[in-house]
Amino acid sequence: MASRRPAGVDGPLFKQALLGSLTWLAANHEEVNRLNVFPVPDGDTGTNMLLTLQSAVEDIKESNAAEVSKIAKLASHGSLMGARGNSGVILSQIFRGFARAVEGKSSLTPRELAVAFEEAANAAYRAVNKPTEGTILTVAREAGRAAASAAGDSDASVPGVIAAAASGAKAAVLKTPSQLQILREAGVVDAGGFGLQLILEGMLKTVEEAESFHVDTTAAKPKAAQVVLDLPEGGWGYCTEFLIEGEDLDVDVIRGEIEAMGNSVLVVGEPELVKVHVHTDDPTAVITKAGHFGKLLKLNVGDMDTQHKRILDSEAAAGRPPRANGVGLVAVVAGSGLVDIFRGLGVDAIVEGGQTMNPSTQDMLTAVDGVPYDEVILLPNNGNVILAASQVRGLTKKKVHVIETHSVPQGVAAVVAFRPERSGAANMAAMKDEAARVQTIEVTHAVRDTRSNGLKVKKGDVIGLINNRLEFAGTDYAEVVNKALGKLGPDAYELVTVYRGQGASDDELANLESAIRSNFPGLEVEIQQGGQQHYPFILSVE
Amino acid sequence: MSAKRRFAVVTDSTADLPDEWRELYEISVVPLKVIFGTETFRDRVDMTDDEFFRRLGTSTKLPTTSAPSPGEFADVYRRLAQDYEGCISIHLGAQLSATVEAARVGAQAVEGFKVTVIDSQIVTMPIAFLCRVAAECETLDAATAAVEERVPKCRVLALLDTLRYLEMGGRLSRAQAMLGTILDLKPLLLVEDREIKPVDRVRTRSRAIPRMVHYFRGDLPVQHVAVMHAQAPDEAEAMAANLRIELPGQDVAIGKIGCVLGTHTGPKALGLVYIKK
Repeated sequence: MASRRPAGVDGPLFKQALLGSLTWLAANHEEVNRLNVFPVPDGDTGTNMLLTLQSAVEDIKESNAAEVSKIAKLASHGSLMGARGNSGVILSQIFRGFARAVEGKSSLTPRELAVAFEEAANAAYRAVNKPTEGTILTVAREAGRAAASAAGDSDASVPGVIAAAASGAKAAVLKTPSQLQILREAGVVDAGGFGLQLILEGMLKTVEEAESFHVDTTAAKPKAAQVVLDLPEGGWGYCTEFLIEGEDLDVDVIRGEIEAMGNSVLVVGEPELVKVHVHTDDPTAVITKAGHFGKLLKLNVGDMDTQHKRILDSEAAAGRPPRANGVGLVAVVAGSGLVDIFRGLGVDAIVEGGQTMNPSTQDMLTAVDGVPYDEVILLPNNGNVILAASQVRGLTKKKVHVIETHSVPQGVAAVVAFRPERSGAANMAAMKDEAARVQTIEVTHAVRDTRSNGLKVKKGDVIGLINNRLEFAGTDYAEVVNKALGKLGPDAYELVTVYRGQGASDDELANLESAIRSNFPGLEVEIQQGGQQHYPFILSVE
Repeated sequence: MSAKRRFAVVTDSTADLPDEWRELYEISVVPLKVIFGTETFRDRVDMTDDEFFRRLGTSTKLPTTSAPSPGEFADVYRRLAQDYEGCISIHLGAQLSATVEAARVGAQAVEGFKVTVIDSQIVTMPIAFLCRVAAECETLDAATAAVEERVPKCRVLALLDTLRYLEMGGRLSRAQAMLGTILDLKPLLLVEDREIKPVDRVRTRSRAIPRMVHYFRGDLPVQHVAVMHAQAPDEAEAMAANLRIELPGQDVAIGKIGCVLGTHTGPKALGLVYIKK
């Protein structure tokens, strides 16, 4: 039986491999979600990785590039723009490292493929401030090592190298509980690492199928929600997006032309395929101009006035005089009450998201580019959004400061300290300082049975977190809050602000308030309607 | 002193003039009014500030305030005309109240008595300092010149415990944009150049007081300074004591916020008021 062994990984094969990864991850991402160790409802790792991968392959689907380097570069760009959550950002760095390693290459030998896997892992390590073993980083590294070892064999093949990477990943995933105590306590393996294992397995399946001429070119569409990239921004004109396909396209020249015709300009890509995003009040002129460079694909023109869905520009901001310091504020917030509070404090643009829906780098980039200031302070307000937010810095011409706010109370404290007459740098210092002074108590229900931080938690239990660390479990909101306030030591604080979420009834709120007042008479209590999902109460203690 | 002085000094109750100054410098005070429902009280005449804040705490509806009428001013000027050749009448900023206008109209009704009406552009004890400066002058012209020279140097730094009262009194419009009204912020406001400007906003009182003092230091040196409070005597005493250590040789007065101003500041307001050098 004649079989075609892929001698090397070229553009079309790598494209198929990535589509295969997407299909396999889409089919299994719920499994990844189930591995979240924290019993709190937060951004699910599987969903975040899937959405990031979807964004990575978005532009690839349109490309017929023969060179693996071009496909890898598109994946790198796409994943960076769509990166959500920490695991999504790390995945985007893996693609970036891979793309760098294969730069200029049209096809990869098994050995070159293994080197690219190793370089991908190195890039991911470099992207993280304090790399932790037992995570997706370890899995990426072990996959690279296994690939390198397989590539050293005399009869090394492409499927062999990928198979080695996938099994190296699997072995590393199984070891993660021995490396991380939180995984051990919860009795699970690392979710992000498992997600990477699935991506490699998806590649392997595709490549093995290619070997036996059974490529399914119409890979099933994943069921998960598609990333919606055509975000509404306040302001003016039409959000215009398209791809230019051509030869020897000069990204810089195209960017220069487009920039003269609108704002919020994003032009990225390769000499064969360039993605353009611009807000303009004359989309026809932009399209005509772009048509001179090459063939336009996936043209999408949206009237931004009708697109105010996910980024809610403050009505107040529109009527406000421009700020003296030229510094804009963008915050990631979910919950109608909290959105109003952040707007009322002067935030120019809100990116909806946070706990369970982690916004992508693209979401935040669009908001940053949409505010009428060249310098922007960005508040992620969630630990799982910080890394994606910090990617925005490299993608816009604007000067972007990210204040690493891990919670809504930290975000509020930071915004309260913002002064319109103060420079961006001076505001940053003051806002960081204020954010660090606030203590956060979050109250929610455990979404799964687990052990964490020495606590045994049953699904449905009321749990209390202090500064994102699980500290107490119980059956009653007031009881858990009492314990948390007691642990903080109420004498050091004077004000408790209670942000009431969607799940809290009037009686529960009244009980909580009277419990705080009677147990901690020295504390002032302020009740605010936060409207956040999943967290009946978020408390700010200062 | 008054034997020599040929002119009278008049102000209104929002100067928060200490009682002893009133007697010592022979200053006439025209009261504004506080209205609780259907009951009208003359500020610091029919109602003390302690009574006012007690009532404010229990009243379901917030009181309103009103300026003295031109006729009330005319009565005061007519009475003073018997003993003096003229008077200087120094009042609450016209941007905040119709009091100055009422004084001007009232003055026109009294013939043969010269009234110099001064719009202080400010509120509370800087007006009392201006009155004292005027009272120490020998002639009305000298007093007018001394007061007019100081009016642009008057400042009020106010730390409110809540924005609620200012908002309901309709005095917030300009400041509103920056302050945000959903969260109960402790706003630090500055009255200068006929405006109420937000200077800072803080969530807790203990952090707000040092901010107010910090801002004040930027305006040093000063010729007069007082700490004002609405039902917060301990904090005011502590602030004044610290300022006396920091500014040796500087007299630091303590004043109480009266009913009319209190209607807009609410209880627990603190102020640092001064006239810059």
